[in-house]
Amino acid sequence: MKSKTLKITLVYVIISLIMAIICHNLLTKYFFETRYSYLFFLKDVFFIITTAFIFRYILAKNESKNISVFKKLKKTNEEIKESNEKYDIVAKATSDTIWDWKIQEDKINWNKGIESVFGYNPEEVGKTSKWWFDKIHPEDSIRMSIKLYSFIEQKTEKWQDQYRFKCADGTYKYVLDRGFLLKDENGRAIRMIGAIQDITKQKEEEQRLKLLETVITQSKDSILITEANSKDHKIPKIVYVNPAFSQMSGYESNEIIGKSTNIFKGPKSDSEELKKLLRAIENEEECVIETITYTKTQEEYWVRFAMIPIFNNEGVITHWISIQRDITDEKKLETEKEHLIRELTQNNKDLKQFSYITSHNLRAPLSNLIGLLNLIEDIPIEDEELEEILAGFTKSTHLLNETINDLVKVIIIKDNPSMQKEEVSLKEVFENVFSQLSFQIELHKPIIKLKFDKVPLLNINKAYIESILLNLLTNSIKYKSENRKLKISITAEQIENQAIITFKDNGIGIDLERNRDKVFGLYQRFHNYPDSKGLGLYLVKSQVETMGGTISIDSEVNKGTTFTITFKN
Amino acid sequence: MLEQILCIDDDPITLMLCKKVILKSSFSREIITAQNGEEALHHFNTLKYTNNKNKVSKKPELIFLDLNMPVMGGWEFLDHFTSDAYAEFNSAKVIVLSSTIDPEDLMKAKKYPIIIDFLSKPITQAMLEYLKKKIM
Repeated sequence: MKSKTLKITLVYVIISLIMAIICHNLLTKYFFETRYSYLFFLKDVFFIITTAFIFRYILAKNESKNISVFKKLKKTNEEIKESNEKYDIVAKATSDTIWDWKIQEDKINWNKGIESVFGYNPEEVGKTSKWWFDKIHPEDSIRMSIKLYSFIEQKTEKWQDQYRFKCADGTYKYVLDRGFLLKDENGRAIRMIGAIQDITKQKEEEQRLKLLETVITQSKDSILITEANSKDHKIPKIVYVNPAFSQMSGYESNEIIGKSTNIFKGPKSDSEELKKLLRAIENEEECVIETITYTKTQEEYWVRFAMIPIFNNEGVITHWISIQRDITDEKKLETEKEHLIRELTQNNKDLKQFSYITSHNLRAPLSNLIGLLNLIEDIPIEDEELEEILAGFTKSTHLLNETINDLVKVIIIKDNPSMQKEEVSLKEVFENVFSQLSFQIELHKPIIKLKFDKVPLLNINKAYIESILLNLLTNSIKYKSENRKLKISITAEQIENQAIITFKDNGIGIDLERNRDKVFGLYQRFHNYPDSKGLGLYLVKSQVETMGGTISIDSEVNKGTTFTITFKN
Repeated sequence: MLEQILCIDDDPITLMLCKKVILKSSFSREIITAQNGEEALHHFNTLKYTNNKNKVSKKPELIFLDLNMPVMGGWEFLDHFTSDAYAEFNSAKVIVLSSTIDPEDLMKAKKYPIIIDFLSKPITQAMLEYLKKKIM
């Protein structure tokens, strides 16, 4: 524009100068007299008018040109405004964070996403790209910047990248960043605009799924997934097998996918179990079977095979999941165990029979001896020595008989783990026990305290509880202290679903430090009393345990003994 | 007092003891014995044969029976004795007199209505007094 103005001015000056020179020459040559001076004036007027016309022409031309330029400008302006408005709306509407980077000036602008997504206040947000790069996770930043600069230098076509971007609170978010370049007429990158998408949730879900997937890939159990529907009553086609399956069966996944698991069927497979499985598949029910199956190399192994139907939201079956475990060792153990149990049961039975026969064969002649001795009782004997011998004979025979009878009792208790239980009144039981011991009670007159009102009835075997209390009471009387009057206290309490019977005396006690593990043993005696056999407490414990109860002892030498018996009630 | 009883036991001393105690407590006038089930059945067979000849002999009213015997044990004897072949004799009552402790024997005894008691050896006068009250 300036040059044009100068041009016009220059042209004008030149034309006017030429005109002025020509006029001057002509006038001075032909009309030099003063009477022609008005001609000079005319010449000037002519000149002014001529130049005015030239000016007018130039100005008019310029003006029309200017108007069209102005119109053009206005239009462009409006277009820019509209486009800016559109950009603002999109920037506001999008959940992405948009950045605009003027590369040469290194100025970067962020939309409000930087606040709403990442939590930065407008004043916290830096104006340069350095701020941006500082917020990228150190592990991601090198990789990211290499990719970004190779894009800016236009070595790559497209740019999009995933990295972790630091939030205002110091945590990191996974983002997907996509951008494009604006170039000048020389093709130089001058500006870059990008959109950052928060993909933390997708990323976390992805990682969660990856973790869940490890359950399948790392599992020691074989897992396979099949299609939903079976054709011609077969197991549906396999769509996935995990590595454990390949290891177990010998089939690689590419060999087996698309096939039916019927290939595992072999001569020793349990066809009943397989039928059960096929029925369950038809009925779309969960099913577990155990059968012998075969590897690719036809080696047989035991497998526990579960099929679980998977349904979609509409309740339509989409897949089957099958979990399989090699139970060959388990089966082997089971068979061994069964064999062992059978053997033990047989041995036990034999032993029991043996004990019955032995005791019978001992008892038969013994009962004869007793019968014969009973007969002798009525025959008067004159010889004193013979009488003495016979007395000893009688005593030994009876002792032998008692021992054998006790052993028989033990055998019968041990042999009878499931005896009959009934509602028993403790009070009644004690009346029976006392009447059996009335002689000893009369003789020693112990002080006996009973407290049963809390447990009037007990679900128990009557004969056993009588025997237990008889034994304990006999022991208390037998092992009473000579220095003080015998006191016995027997109480029963109900605590939740347990009845607790406490039996306490002030007798001579047992040294538990030395004998704790022997107290309830067979033929264990702790006091050298002539008629103690070491059987009473053994019987008591056996009977208590046969009825599902427990017994414990607390005792102190010369203070007394307490037995605590617990039954479920 | 019973007229005749039968003791079946393989042990001669037990039989001797039975005889003596039974006689002593005046439980029965006559005591016959058999060493096992087969011998006892033989005795009944003989009785049957002689009865047919119109010579009525005494038949035992009570049998003391042992269980474990050689040749034929107590249970086998009972199976034969309770059959129709011995219908004319099996109104007699049976008392098992044994030294067994096998609970199965006790259970089994309950299944035979002919067994009225299950007693443990040795036989005693007190036992016989108790039986007198029970059957007479």
